[in-house]
Amino acid sequence: MKQAKRITTVQVAAIMTSTIIGVGVLPIPLFAVRGAGSGAPLVTLLGAAVAFVGLFLITRLGMRFPDQSIVQYGEVVIGKWLSWIGSIGVIGFFAILTSLTAREFGEVVITSVLTETPLEVTVIVMLMLAAISTRNDITTFAYIHLFYFPLLLGPALLIVALSLKNADLINLQPIWGNSHEGMLASVLTIASLFQGSFIVTTVIPAMREPRKAMIASVVGLVIAGGMYVMIVAATLGVFGSEETKNLLWPTLELAKATSLPANVLERLDAAFLAVWVTAVFTTLFSSYYLAVKELSKLFRLQDHKLFSFFLLPAVFSMAMVPYNILHMYEIIQNVGRIGLFVTIAYPGLLLVVAILRKKRGEPSEKRSAG
Amino acid sequence: MRSGRRVKRLLLSAFAASVFLLLTGCWDRLEIEERAIVLGVSVDNAPPGAAKRESEISHTAEGFPVPDVNMIRVTLQIALPGKIPLGPGESGGGGKGSEQTVWVVGTEGHTVDDAIMNLQQQISGRLFFGHLRVIVVSEDVARLGMQNINDYFHRNPEVRRMAWMMISKGSAEQVMRASPELERVPALYLMSTMDNAVKLGKFPENYVGMYWSNSAKRGQEGYLPYVELKKMQNIEVKGMAYFKDDKLQGTTKPFQVAAYMSIKGMNPAGYRGVVKIGGAADSVMIYATSRRSTIKVRVQDGEPIVNVAIFTEINLEEKINEQFTINDSASLVQIEEQNKRSLLRETEALIRQMQEKGSDIFGFGEYVRAKKPGYWNARIGSKNKWQRAFKELRVEVEVNSKIRRVGMKAK
Amino acid sequence: MAVKGIMFLFGRRKRRRSSGDNGEYPRIPAERLNDAAVDGDLERVVRQIRGVLGENDDFTIRRFLVFGRYPAAMFFYPNMIDMTTLNSEILKPLMYGPPHAERLPENGEELWDFLLESTLYHSDVRSETLVAKVVSDLLRGQTAVIIEGVAQALLLGTRAIEKRSIDQPATEQVIRGPREGFIELLSTNISLIRYRLQTPDLRVKTMEVGRRSQSKVAICYMHGITNPELVKEITRRLDLIDVDAILDSGYLEQFIEDNQMSPFPQVQYTERPDKVVANLLEGRVALIVDGSPLALVVPTVFSQFYQTVEDYTERFLMMSAIRWARLIALVFSLVFPSLYVAIISFNPELIPTEFAVAVAGGRAGVPFPAIVEVLVIEISMEVLREATIRLPQQVGGALSIVGVLVVGQAAVAAGFASPITVVIIALTTIGSFATPAYNAALALRLLRFPLIVLAGIFGLYGVMIGLILIANHLLSLKSFGVPYLSPLVPGSPQGMKDLFLRGPFWWMSTRPDFLHPSDKTRISDRTVEELKKPPNNVLEPADIENTRKR
Repeated sequence: MKQAKRITTVQVAAIMTSTIIGVGVLPIPLFAVRGAGSGAPLVTLLGAAVAFVGLFLITRLGMRFPDQSIVQYGEVVIGKWLSWIGSIGVIGFFAILTSLTAREFGEVVITSVLTETPLEVTVIVMLMLAAISTRNDITTFAYIHLFYFPLLLGPALLIVALSLKNADLINLQPIWGNSHEGMLASVLTIASLFQGSFIVTTVIPAMREPRKAMIASVVGLVIAGGMYVMIVAATLGVFGSEETKNLLWPTLELAKATSLPANVLERLDAAFLAVWVTAVFTTLFSSYYLAVKELSKLFRLQDHKLFSFFLLPAVFSMAMVPYNILHMYEIIQNVGRIGLFVTIAYPGLLLVVAILRKKRGEPSEKRSAG
Repeated sequence: MRSGRRVKRLLLSAFAASVFLLLTGCWDRLEIEERAIVLGVSVDNAPPGAAKRESEISHTAEGFPVPDVNMIRVTLQIALPGKIPLGPGESGGGGKGSEQTVWVVGTEGHTVDDAIMNLQQQISGRLFFGHLRVIVVSEDVARLGMQNINDYFHRNPEVRRMAWMMISKGSAEQVMRASPELERVPALYLMSTMDNAVKLGKFPENYVGMYWSNSAKRGQEGYLPYVELKKMQNIEVKGMAYFKDDKLQGTTKPFQVAAYMSIKGMNPAGYRGVVKIGGAADSVMIYATSRRSTIKVRVQDGEPIVNVAIFTEINLEEKINEQFTINDSASLVQIEEQNKRSLLRETEALIRQMQEKGSDIFGFGEYVRAKKPGYWNARIGSKNKWQRAFKELRVEVEVNSKIRRVGMKAK
Repeated sequence: MAVKGIMFLFGRRKRRRSSGDNGEYPRIPAERLNDAAVDGDLERVVRQIRGVLGENDDFTIRRFLVFGRYPAAMFFYPNMIDMTTLNSEILKPLMYGPPHAERLPENGEELWDFLLESTLYHSDVRSETLVAKVVSDLLRGQTAVIIEGVAQALLLGTRAIEKRSIDQPATEQVIRGPREGFIELLSTNISLIRYRLQTPDLRVKTMEVGRRSQSKVAICYMHGITNPELVKEITRRLDLIDVDAILDSGYLEQFIEDNQMSPFPQVQYTERPDKVVANLLEGRVALIVDGSPLALVVPTVFSQFYQTVEDYTERFLMMSAIRWARLIALVFSLVFPSLYVAIISFNPELIPTEFAVAVAGGRAGVPFPAIVEVLVIEISMEVLREATIRLPQQVGGALSIVGVLVVGQAAVAAGFASPITVVIIALTTIGSFATPAYNAALALRLLRFPLIVLAGIFGLYGVMIGLILIANHLLSLKSFGVPYLSPLVPGSPQGMKDLFLRGPFWWMSTRPDFLHPSDKTRISDRTVEELKKPPNNVLEPADIENTRKR
């Protein structure tokens, strides 16, 4: 049952970042602007802070039980039956998250590039891609994330940099926004975009140095959060808060309004979307991997490959639930907020109980003591 | 054994995939030459009686839900693939007698989409707006409101935000049908007219996307270039067409664009000005090379006051006669003073004109919102209220300018 | 995980081997001779050897009397040995006896010592008692002498196989660098390596692979640099091979690589001894097969396929730039046609309007969709390439000109293809030739086709899906446990210096760490320090003037 300890701290940070940054980049300026107008970057920052609470809890737990993931130490901490409910919740939530991510990206692709292609095809292609990739072991999982890491930051930074010349600082002021109704809801919605960070629970047992997990998590979250803030700020700077509210995917619109110097590519939206497939893939891959891996741990199986395709029909049919794009966004926001319970409240509970009952991970706990 | 099974499985899945793909095909594949590449769109008011001529394509004759909307005439400029040669033109003579490279077709409809669908009914290739570069709207249509036009182009994912939208004096269709000599494709000529106007400092960079953003802001209104078709099939930038919400309020003179750009501190600067020194004949032409402006807002006695400080750097370009010499810096100071006065006059006049129409194209409201959020939240808060407040707004303008160079001539 | 997989793969071969032991494939010749020994009975041994080899007409048994007294027989394959040596250095002294000898030996034992000590003018002499061994040495080109009453066989190294001369490596030419290439003969190849690495640390282990071919395989590695585990694993994998013949190192490659299903080569081959030496010094292991002019180098990572020897012989700035050009060519050859299809058929809004209109004009008369057009031209390009390789050199050049110029021009003129397509395909093909490693270029060229098809279905989205699949495959590949994309993934800052750039030597003072060498230092710190000091200007003109005046 013991996994090979092969994953380095840098790889964990890369996993964190590339898991968090996903299809959420496209609507995040809209979510943020709805809450506080020109205060959107602040809202994003607050969202990241809320997300950090959950990440802190889960990392702390992981360091306490350096050889186990949430499904396994859940049993130790609160007993078999209670933890079963929690684990099923976690697994179910990430399966839903996978399906919604695939659906959301499918919608983006259908709306903007492949208007005639059936939604089912784009969604199933993405899911298949993720499912095939989940058949790899955790080392390859880490390699894949590390490899795509520059592809994730590159295009987004490029667009931010290119749009700077069109940005107007006035649009970002006042930085705390003009009105604050709905700010809490926005903060929570944005915090829910960071839920991918939960993957750290699956990764820690394979880490070479679990005691560095906290640094890796924080670095990953800071990079991802920084990038979100930058994108929100750039979008807001170029469009202004009112125009941003008019746009379903402001980031994509930003790519549309940007052209490479010397007109090599006249507009970047389709190219950006194409490169963004990798970002969506890494997110999908992580949440799917988490669901599959934890499910196999729940059933105490050695090999998680069995579930890769087993889960696929379920995930796919969940992706087909929303009737239309606006309904989908309502579901995404609601599921995201419910998910905050799964990703913050449940680990919080576990940690409190673990501290109270003085439960710790068994063999190599000495290393993680610090 | 296992290897063999893997091969079999691989072959099987490859087979399944290919059958699947062959059966379903490529949904979105549409070759570039099968697309009707729309380069320009113009929107006019339809001549009377258009409703009767319309075929029943997207609705029945009586069925259009908003009967009181005037019908519009939409004209598209579509590239003719075969007619535009690859690479640099072969014949040096070019120009005269060159074939038509675009096809200009138009039709009427109740809305933009309605009209375009009416047109699609008559055109074989799917209309493709990915290369739409110019949208020309006639003044009459703009006065009635741009809402529908903005919505259609905003919603369509193919349309780029970097297209130019312009308001034409008179018929917009005529602008679409113009065939200037310089460029192979008329719409591209229109586009390059505007792009070069930006480069030469004749007009602020104002793509349709920026117009949309500006119109959406609560403390700002949008503006668009105002153009007119001239005799030689060329297009003149006649000034700015300014809006209130989505309705055209009026147009400015071209030199007022310079005043606008000075207030906003936009570069590059390109307009020339005449400065009189002393006698009526003793005038010089100057041009601004760069502009800076700072806009400050303060609240005094519960009222916001906007302070605009403009600084321009100018060069001397032409002297009208040889009666006087310019060979010391004192004479330049004189010119500077004159220039300050005239620029102040122009900018104040422009601001006043805008205040009369209630169209804050400068975005002073945005400054108030950004810098004095307390005041904004308490007293303004919405676009309507700002439009009223703008009319009463006190704006202070300070102008400063410096002449730096006088060209290659010493006197 | 990976090791388990390998075990699995090899397990299959192991089973076949065991069935061989059961007698299904007689082990030749050892099994027929059992444990027969040379015991002084000449006739019996002659009978035994003739029983195994005698039916061959090119096998010769020459009977003679040693010193005119002891009956003896000499066995050899005349075509495989150097007859002059045999006659003058072996047969002659054996028959005449040494002139200085006071007395000739009386019995068998004495005779043996006498022959070795004072008769034979030949250095490569061994003794052997097992007949089976004698036979296998005969097959290798040795000469055996068996003397009545002597319980040992004399084995004389007389092998002389016709070989071609050492030539310029045909497939890996360089402008700056050694001009020698491997030839087919193992011994020559080892000598080419050994004279470049005059150190006792160079270890060459040989083993025989191939049930019938008995091909000699040399495992070369640097003792004290190469990780011993690696050598052990390679030996293990070679041991497990039970196949009837290894005709080229290419056969061997397919038995020792980790993933047989992958289109990407996981073993590098080279015909340059200097390249082999450089790889040995990085901690890799080279495998040389007798009869093949191509040495194998393992473990292999992807970056090796776009690096050349010249990268290190020329100045690092220039070569870094050229390496970039090669990388671009690599990417070209993979994605260019599919990007073209995706943009033309799905996203024409990406390219500048003027160009889009022009492309539409170029394509206006073409009857096929872009994907069909690209596929047809791509396939004909592959056909053309294959035809050029097969044709004799004199005709090949002419054909390629005809093919490229005439067919391309005619296809455009006939309205069969648009000129831009031809440009794209030409660039792609040229790009694929710029990749130094032929087998890697082949893999990329093959993968281009699924990408084109994906581009034809989903546009840019499909291209991206395809690239992700390829990248994920590359990331899951391993060569002897070394991740295929090392040193990029998992990141190793040390290795990056020789990845996209060719860092200066003082930058790369340690060996690549992903190979886990026992000795890491390549350039000593002192040298690096010395290089960083300001140069000593001995011929500085002003200084020389000054000293002269004084």
